[in-house]
Amino acid sequence: MKIVFLSSNLSAKLSFLNHAVSSRGQLPILSNFLLETKKGKFHISSTDLEMGIQTSIPANVEEEGKTTVPAKNFSELVSNLGEEKVTLSLSDQSLKLTTGKVKSAFQTTPAEEFPKLFEEKGEEVAQIKREVIDKKMGRVVFAAAVESSRPALSGILLQKAKGGYIAVATDGYRLSLQKNISIGEKGEVKDKDLLIPARLIKELISLKEEGDTLKMYVSEKSNQTIFEQGETLVVGRLIEAKFPEYEKIIPEEHNSKTSFSRQDLQNAVRICSVFARETANILKLSLKKDRIVISANTPSVGENTVDVEAKLEGEENEIAFNARYLSELLSNIEEDEMTFEMQGPFNSGVFRVVGDNDFLHLIMPIRVQE
Amino acid sequence: MDDQKELWGKILAEIELNVSRANFLTLFKRTALLSLEGNVVTIAAPSTMIIDLLQRRFYEIIKRAVDKHTQMDASIIFAPKTIVATVEQAKESNMPLFEEEKPKTIGHLPRVRQDYTFENMAVSSSNQLAYVSATTVAKKPGQIYNPLFLYGPVGCGKTHLMQSIANEVFKNDNSKKILYITSEEFTNEVVESIRTNATAQMKRKFRNVDLLIIDDIQFIAGKEKIQEELFHTFNILVDNGSQIVLSSDRPPSEIQKVEKRLLSRFAGGLTVDIEQPDFELRTAILLIKAKKYGVGLSIEVAKIIAEKAQDARSLEGLLLRTITEAQAKGEEISEELANKLLGNKKDETIIVGSFHPDEIINNICTYYKVKPTQLKSSKRDAFLVKPRQVAMYILKKELGLTYVEIGNILGGRDHTTIMHGVEKVENLMGKTKLSEDISSISRLAVENVVDY
Repeated sequence: MKIVFLSSNLSAKLSFLNHAVSSRGQLPILSNFLLETKKGKFHISSTDLEMGIQTSIPANVEEEGKTTVPAKNFSELVSNLGEEKVTLSLSDQSLKLTTGKVKSAFQTTPAEEFPKLFEEKGEEVAQIKREVIDKKMGRVVFAAAVESSRPALSGILLQKAKGGYIAVATDGYRLSLQKNISIGEKGEVKDKDLLIPARLIKELISLKEEGDTLKMYVSEKSNQTIFEQGETLVVGRLIEAKFPEYEKIIPEEHNSKTSFSRQDLQNAVRICSVFARETANILKLSLKKDRIVISANTPSVGENTVDVEAKLEGEENEIAFNARYLSELLSNIEEDEMTFEMQGPFNSGVFRVVGDNDFLHLIMPIRVQE
Repeated sequence: MDDQKELWGKILAEIELNVSRANFLTLFKRTALLSLEGNVVTIAAPSTMIIDLLQRRFYEIIKRAVDKHTQMDASIIFAPKTIVATVEQAKESNMPLFEEEKPKTIGHLPRVRQDYTFENMAVSSSNQLAYVSATTVAKKPGQIYNPLFLYGPVGCGKTHLMQSIANEVFKNDNSKKILYITSEEFTNEVVESIRTNATAQMKRKFRNVDLLIIDDIQFIAGKEKIQEELFHTFNILVDNGSQIVLSSDRPPSEIQKVEKRLLSRFAGGLTVDIEQPDFELRTAILLIKAKKYGVGLSIEVAKIIAEKAQDARSLEGLLLRTITEAQAKGEEISEELANKLLGNKKDETIIVGSFHPDEIINNICTYYKVKPTQLKSSKRDAFLVKPRQVAMYILKKELGLTYVEIGNILGGRDHTTIMHGVEKVENLMGKTKLSEDISSISRLAVENVVDY
């Protein structure tokens, strides 16, 4: 194996590749990158067995071949090279990296030990616009559970709907729902619901790659899904679990609806959180005619209230939420005008974005004893 | 299934000896034996990448271990599937957002009908006191009238009131533990728990509630063990401030074969009598029921039906019959229809079935504490005259005996004497005391039949 390439091309990709390098490092091979040269391209892959990333950069391939090197050392070295022409060559067990001034040699592990990321890509089911992933999926993915004994809650449900998918995520305390995830002209909506690990979607949001469209592939046979943008592939598995029946819990009615500025509420939540931290993060929202009063108190620290300008339709009402859920929601929305609907302090409150009927977020209230 | 699990456990133990710890933990730990058909062994692993490694690097080791434990030449295939060992546990983990919705449906209260509420109960003077005390209890369970004891004849709305209490308490606070049960079910539970040696569990069930409602409590008569259990449950619940509501077809003092200490506790709270619905109330009940069935009923028709029966259940029966008839004929529910259909139906006020005249006389004697011989004697003391006339009335009305026959039974009296007596009682029927006496005697009759 022998190739020549520009170091800046590679270093741009390395930080993303490192997302799939196993952090626990039980199996040494998983802390390595797989380096492959094929048909004028230099492929680099990483995996932690749950997710895999494969990307490639243009390179001048003089001799084909493959090997693996420790990811951490390799990335550190390459990212410090600056703009240089790099030559990689493999002889015996040693991978030599040379630039004009630098000469280094890595101990390698044979490529055979590295797991194959996928057999086949599977069927192309969607072509999703980059902005849809960033904006619409971003509003949903944060509601999924990070650690849960219920696998279904750690995923995003993509459910067939007219012209695309409905995306839903919940951790059991809150739920985000986004309709009309467009799948592009070539996409074919699966009849079966797809449950995609939230982690995979989070990685896609952080992916910086050329092109404005992501192709989504599903292979039901191997229970795997692949997202492809430009030269990068992200491989994951579909979650086999039953997603809770979310339709039932979306309130159909409300007797109070208030409109407010997201920015204002977010600031208020931040301020009040200071006094909520030690009392289970409870924030109380009082819906008044022309404002929302956010309040928190901790007997040992103190209390405060913040008024947020708002316009109420319907009855005045009170409800309490976990401050973390509020701030996570508010920081994942870009639009400023939002509404909040509720029916009594024990029913879930529903947040919406003004002028966008496709999105809703609901949070379960905390019962506060008066 | 468990066999497979065990087999795979053995195979894994074998493999563990042959691979590095890191490999075992990352690659083998989450595998499972999916199926074993002929010599084909299917192994599940969570991701395609793991499968790739298992296949390429560990196939020989796996095969050796599998062959050894299955004692055959196995071909091994892999399937991408996550086997979650904790499926059972997972079900229990909290998802309050999803659980939150359940209590919204009142179906959570077993045995309680959702449509029995205070709002749809017709109230008039006959049941007003009972209604007011029931609403008070529902508002402040365990605080004011404890226990609340409702009694009255069949079809006067005892069950409706009691279930309304359950529904109302539940509506106000769905975290309250509410148990509605008939005394027969209570008996069954106690017996069952003794049989299965689970008395502790049964005790916990009954003694941990915030509201205990027992319908038709009179049926515990003569069941000593049940009464004892109820007695202790009663004491604990009252001490805990839990509300108890009981119903019966007669006041506590008249329930027989029940221990005194228990009866005194029944009467220790508020005892309310619900009377047979009066004519106006019956009409109102009919209108409410008709609305429930989605049928328009004019007040005139309701009045006609209300005349034909006394208790709410019979009323509902007659109403249904009228509705069905009207629908079958494709007619409106009219006065003519109701008259035609129900016209010949007699007012079955007191009791159905016939008894031997001696029984009735015995009952009357028991009730008025006189001897049958005195009743039949020629003496005309005031304390004998009333029971005697009541006897004449009941024998006439219920057994339909002739005046002459009644005269013979009651010590050879003239038939004109009997006619006078019956007439006198009929006139006095308006007075409550006498009509109460008569219905009590009728009840005695029914009860004795049950005893035989």
